[in-house]
Amino acid sequence: MADENGNDHDPTPLRRPGEGVPPKPEGEKPSIAGDVAALAGGLKTTLSEFFKPVVTTMYPEEKTPRSERYRGRHYLRRYDNGLERCIGCELCAAACPVGCILVIAAENTDEKRVSPGERYAKTYEINMLRCIFCGYCEEACPVQAIVLGPEYELSDTSREKFIYTKEKLLEPLPPDVEARLNAKGTAVPTPAPLPNPPPQGGRETTP
Amino acid sequence: MPDVKMVNVTIDGHVVTVPDGTLVVEAAKLVGIEIPVFCYHHKLDPVGACRMCLVEISPGPPVAQAGCIRPVADGMVVKTQSAMAVQARADILEFELVNHPLDCPVCDKGGECPLQDFTFRHGYPTSRIDGPRLHFQKPIPLSPNIALDRERCVLCYRCTRYYDEVAWEQELTVAERGVHSVIASQFDQPLTSNFSGNIIDLCPVGALTSRLWRFESRPWDLHHTPSVCSKCAVGCNVTLWQRRGQLVRVTSRENDDIDEGWICDRGRFDYTDVNDPARLRVPAVHGSKTTWAVALNTVADGIKGKGSKLGISLPQDLTNEEAFLFRRLLDGPLRGAKVKMHGRTALPAPSGEQLMIKDIDDARVIIIVASDTENDVPIVNLRVKKAVSKRGAKLIVIHPDAVDLDRHRETVHIRNQPGEAAAEVRKLADHELLHEPGGPVAILYGDGRGSEDAAGLVAACTELAAKVGAKLMPLYRGTNERGSLELGVAGWDSLDGVEALLSWGPPPTAGVPASVKFHAVWDHLPRPEHQNASVVLPATSFAERQGSYTNLEGRVQFLRPAVDAEAPLKESWDVLCELAAALGLPLDYVGIFPIQREAAKAFPALAALAQPPSPEPEPVPVLMGPARP
Ligand code: SF4
Ligand code: SF4
Ligand code: SF4
Ligand code: SF4
Ligand code: FES
Repeated sequence: MADENGNDHDPTPLRRPGEGVPPKPEGEKPSIAGDVAALAGGLKTTLSEFFKPVVTTMYPEEKTPRSERYRGRHYLRRYDNGLERCIGCELCAAACPVGCILVIAAENTDEKRVSPGERYAKTYEINMLRCIFCGYCEEACPVQAIVLGPEYELSDTSREKFIYTKEKLLEPLPPDVEARLNAKGTAVPTPAPLPNPPPQGGRETTP
Repeated sequence: MPDVKMVNVTIDGHVVTVPDGTLVVEAAKLVGIEIPVFCYHHKLDPVGACRMCLVEISPGPPVAQAGCIRPVADGMVVKTQSAMAVQARADILEFELVNHPLDCPVCDKGGECPLQDFTFRHGYPTSRIDGPRLHFQKPIPLSPNIALDRERCVLCYRCTRYYDEVAWEQELTVAERGVHSVIASQFDQPLTSNFSGNIIDLCPVGALTSRLWRFESRPWDLHHTPSVCSKCAVGCNVTLWQRRGQLVRVTSRENDDIDEGWICDRGRFDYTDVNDPARLRVPAVHGSKTTWAVALNTVADGIKGKGSKLGISLPQDLTNEEAFLFRRLLDGPLRGAKVKMHGRTALPAPSGEQLMIKDIDDARVIIIVASDTENDVPIVNLRVKKAVSKRGAKLIVIHPDAVDLDRHRETVHIRNQPGEAAAEVRKLADHELLHEPGGPVAILYGDGRGSEDAAGLVAACTELAAKVGAKLMPLYRGTNERGSLELGVAGWDSLDGVEALLSWGPPPTAGVPASVKFHAVWDHLPRPEHQNASVVLPATSFAERQGSYTNLEGRVQFLRPAVDAEAPLKESWDVLCELAAALGLPLDYVGIFPIQREAAKAFPALAALAQPPSPEPEPVPVLMGPARP
């Protein structure tokens, strides 16, 4: 029977018992010596493996090495002067395929300056239960504020604890990761502080 | 309508037949071809300032020409995709971006910004600019509601032209010249016009943004709902933008029959009460929270059988549906109650054929009597300005004080003694402007905020209209005053001496009378007047309300809820039905549609209620693809 694409299909729906089992090899007759030899051969493999180095890692006492690009839990980064990098632009939230990031922005004032520009994230939350660790948020961020770190052990005891708040996300990255990110050269340098008071007319500055 | 010559033009191979005088950009829109524009706006006179709209036009010189100032001609061939036109537009965009900060991530326009879109569709994919850029203070407050970012301005002059042509104000100008030009308010004073907010919608970039919406959200976070403004009787169409249960922005929604895409600042910025954390949400009796059933029974006991000892204060923005239910209460258990509506003019319900707002455009002479149109009916005021400055209508104003329409040099302003407007109207019949008006005459009359004898004024205006063949428009102030008048609930009684008072909406303007023993309040915000109220019921705000308003020209328009009325908040038709039941009048409606159908049957003026239009706005035609060098 050929379908519209010209492929033949076997019309028999199911196999019957014993069907499809390969036939026993002809020739060699079963013998005791043959069985013992087969047993010894198997044991030889087992014994030779026994003396080879162990590859099992004793997790959780021991950990396997992580790739540099491993995508684990998120961190929000800060500039060297302590100001938050995040400008509350919501581009991470827009890029996130599962919609697990909530950003609510607010305006920086001279009294309360959180980030260098005009805008900062008043609320920043990631729902880790929904996150698929795709890293699109990191890619979308124009100021390299949100990054995925190496930690993957995120178990906890309640669903609420998986909503990572800004406070939790602002915990410092492991120093080696931070150093690597800075060394990559993609880091935006700490922006120059705004002149105070800001200029009224036009002023030329190098970007 | 004079006969207009039709001409054929070919745009990128599509032949389109349009009236002579149509601009090339408008003709291209008809065949779905995008010619990018910054300075051109279909409601403003073209100026050709930005050169974003460059296209190749033949016959003509072999240079790219601005499509926004060029009217079509018969046999014209327009090429928007020729190599010359495509490169010319990309070059213009490159110039636009020389000093542009490109801080899209923190720009409130980002996501709905024509400059972003055009750069993607018509610009060069990469930038060659690495020189220094011009910087300014960010942002400069232009008024408590509007922020100006000069770095982002593309100097299209839409804002200043709007101020000049449409609003007749001189508050916003261009300071300096040439490359140093910047937008500035006059003498750096804050903008005070009631029409200032429209420049936010007009600005094609993020140079003018709302300070109320500043950094509230990105445009793509928002859910938008087409609705109607609830602040005055004009009934401008608006879009309500909601994020996470908060009303975060109100913008205009163009309806050429009413608002032409403008709304006043009251409609645009007066919405923060919706998100007030102090909003009333739970019914309370004598200050302690309770259930709706208990609260409504207490109200019913307090107001039942009081006859004329019961006073009811109505909000100006009650919907037709609420008014219809309320009418049934007034005909039944609350018969004889004194009713006073907020913001009501003394004008009676209109009779006969009325002037529609869009007819003001074609009027040759416009007479405005006893109304401060700028504040009472703001968008009608803009229509009058358009008829006068763009269509050459003559304007006669009868008002005791200076009004903003005086700014036109040819306005005839007759200053009457307060109360004497009717006499001045009678004298007008012999006015020289009305001898040979050369077209329709429009008479718009208010009630002078109570200073005029309304009946006399209406009679005088009707008489004048009959003499000169004019059409009349009563200028109501209350949002749904006209609908309430047609339903017979727009009372104008004094509430003095009542023993029980139901204040629906804000407290009575004259204050709570001292004689009141039982005071029930149905409001959305706590107010000092609620201090001694026996019962406080939470009400929905305009953003949570369903229903319809009848605007001052009699058009029925539908409000749609942008924010959910979350329990225990109840929709007002529901509350009215339950109150009626507690008063012994069974009103059994399962939803708002049966109420609308019944009201449409009972009141011919509300016939439109039976067919609410689909809430989905018509889809915008897809524009043809990108043209990038
Ligand atoms: S890693 Fe992917 S799924 Fe997780 S927050 Fe970022 S964008 Fe969303
Ligand atoms: S983390 Fe980056 S992308 Fe997300 S809001 Fe902050 S600045 Fe924008
Ligand atoms: S105006 Fe448009 S292009 Fe300019 S910063 Fe704002 S969003 Fe970006
Ligand atoms: S502020 Fe906006 S509308 Fe005004 S000139 Fe600049 S870009 Fe145009
Ligand atoms: S849109 Fe044509 S010149 Fe500006």
